[in-house]
Amino acid sequence: MLFLPAALILTVGAVLPTLVTIGQSLFVVTLTGGHFAYRWDGLQNYLQLLGSGEFQQAVGFTMLFTTVTVAAELLVGMGMALAANMAIPGKNVLRTTMLVPWALITVVSAQLWRYIYDGTYGVANAVLVGLHVIAQPVTWLSDDNLAIGAMMVADIWKTAPFVALLLLAGLQTIPGELNEAASIDGASPWQVFRFVTLPLLRPSVLLAALYRTIQAFVGLFDLPFVLTGGGPGYATQSVAIYSWKRMFQDLLFGQGAAASVVAFAVTLVLAIVYIRMISPRTVSAESP
Amino acid sequence: MRRAASRAWRAALLLGILVVLLAPLYWMVAASLTPPVDIADWPPHWFPATPTLSNYRDAFATQGFAGYLRNSLIVSTASTALTLLVGSPAAYALARLRLPGRQVLLIGILGLTMFPSLAVLLPLFSMLRALGWLNTYQALVFPYTAFNLPLTIWILTTFFQEIPRELEEAAEVDGAGVMTVLGRVVLPLAGPGLASAAILVFIACWTEFLFALTFNSSDTMRTLPVGIALFGGQFVVPWGTIFAGSVIAVLPLVVLVVLFQRLMITGLTRGAVKG
Repeated sequence: MLFLPAALILTVGAVLPTLVTIGQSLFVVTLTGGHFAYRWDGLQNYLQLLGSGEFQQAVGFTMLFTTVTVAAELLVGMGMALAANMAIPGKNVLRTTMLVPWALITVVSAQLWRYIYDGTYGVANAVLVGLHVIAQPVTWLSDDNLAIGAMMVADIWKTAPFVALLLLAGLQTIPGELNEAASIDGASPWQVFRFVTLPLLRPSVLLAALYRTIQAFVGLFDLPFVLTGGGPGYATQSVAIYSWKRMFQDLLFGQGAAASVVAFAVTLVLAIVYIRMISPRTVSAESP
Repeated sequence: MRRAASRAWRAALLLGILVVLLAPLYWMVAASLTPPVDIADWPPHWFPATPTLSNYRDAFATQGFAGYLRNSLIVSTASTALTLLVGSPAAYALARLRLPGRQVLLIGILGLTMFPSLAVLLPLFSMLRALGWLNTYQALVFPYTAFNLPLTIWILTTFFQEIPRELEEAAEVDGAGVMTVLGRVVLPLAGPGLASAAILVFIACWTEFLFALTFNSSDTMRTLPVGIALFGGQFVVPWGTIFAGSVIAVLPLVVLVVLFQRLMITGLTRGAVKG
């Protein structure tokens, strides 16, 4: 009884629609005269996707983006977590500040980076010209590779602090005496990190990596939508953008649905791995 | 001597991180105070040369940002309230009652927290369309509730389990029903859990883009993220107006973060990566 309203909303709002999406991906769906019309199409939508160069490009870009940003966010996030875990004044200010980019509206940070990257008056150019990294202002978002790199930087800025907070939660469970004992035994700070901290932090690192991978793979929508619109050309078009454009710009609803099912399938596999990692400990610890 | 040097290094590192995190935000505030004639100056002014509030006046008096703000407030508040209302009894059931298949349910709910909204976009769109609900508040409140319930239930379940059972048993002995126990005994004690879930749900709704863009795209029904994303000029980008709107849109989030940092981190680490 207590569970009924929640079960109802979850079923109607999330579980059933997912099944319907899978169904819709097997039809040619058209919007004519204000009504959706369905014509059975078997696996045609999927076959067309597989043969589409634009879809392959979207999958390739999304995989590249996810791999690079998740790796960078773990590295940068680890550095920030270690810094926030040091015994110095001001670390609480740092912890609060790390939440701000994460809480920021993604659309706002995308507009902000679009302004920063502007090819004629953007501050990115002003800083890099000032530091003599580049001689002339660069139009960052008009070149395929530069646009991809610029988008990665924007994503890392927003998400590395969040990864740092997840890792910091793990760091705080490591008793300080362990590190002290290793130092007394003559271990250098690097050795303490490499042989004491890192092995103990392994579960947190793996979970953060998986969680971010899932988010990045299907969730990459807001940032490219605003920062580049998926361009130049299709260079920064993610699977989510591809799927959305098929549905709500080209009105090829069945094909868009098929693309989102592919993205969902990838997520599902990763999510199962994630749950297997997280649930044995939590669920058994919580059992009465 | 070495100690002092290492302290200085650490302070410099900390300061460096703070600058990297905050510099883009400073640039946003600076742009929001820069009049349109100065915004394309090269090299850019590190401080607004002629600071003005005219962008804020434009955004909220002339352009539609007051409406976007109102829509965001209504949708986020209603979704947060509904999520907690529906989520707390469910979490209580999971934490306390001996339900059959409880473990499977918990794992299923954890799985649902990873659910991509893209996977339900088209069916929800056609359903809302059939109901005549596109460009209404409920078009967002309903999916926001559905998508934030799993995390809410997960966070609240862990908080409820920490409340000593004896308190509830005492109330039950006194003849209180399940709903009375939940309302009078459990919820008041789970205050921090409720607060951390409420804050996280509110932020998720306030920042959501994909549903809002797809279901409520008419100018009068846009929420702040959609308004900010689609705001444009014909020939030049009206940066000042966009960032004046953005500063106001982000302000509540910054206030929440500063006030409730600890609660949010607790909720996040329980919800996302419970170690």
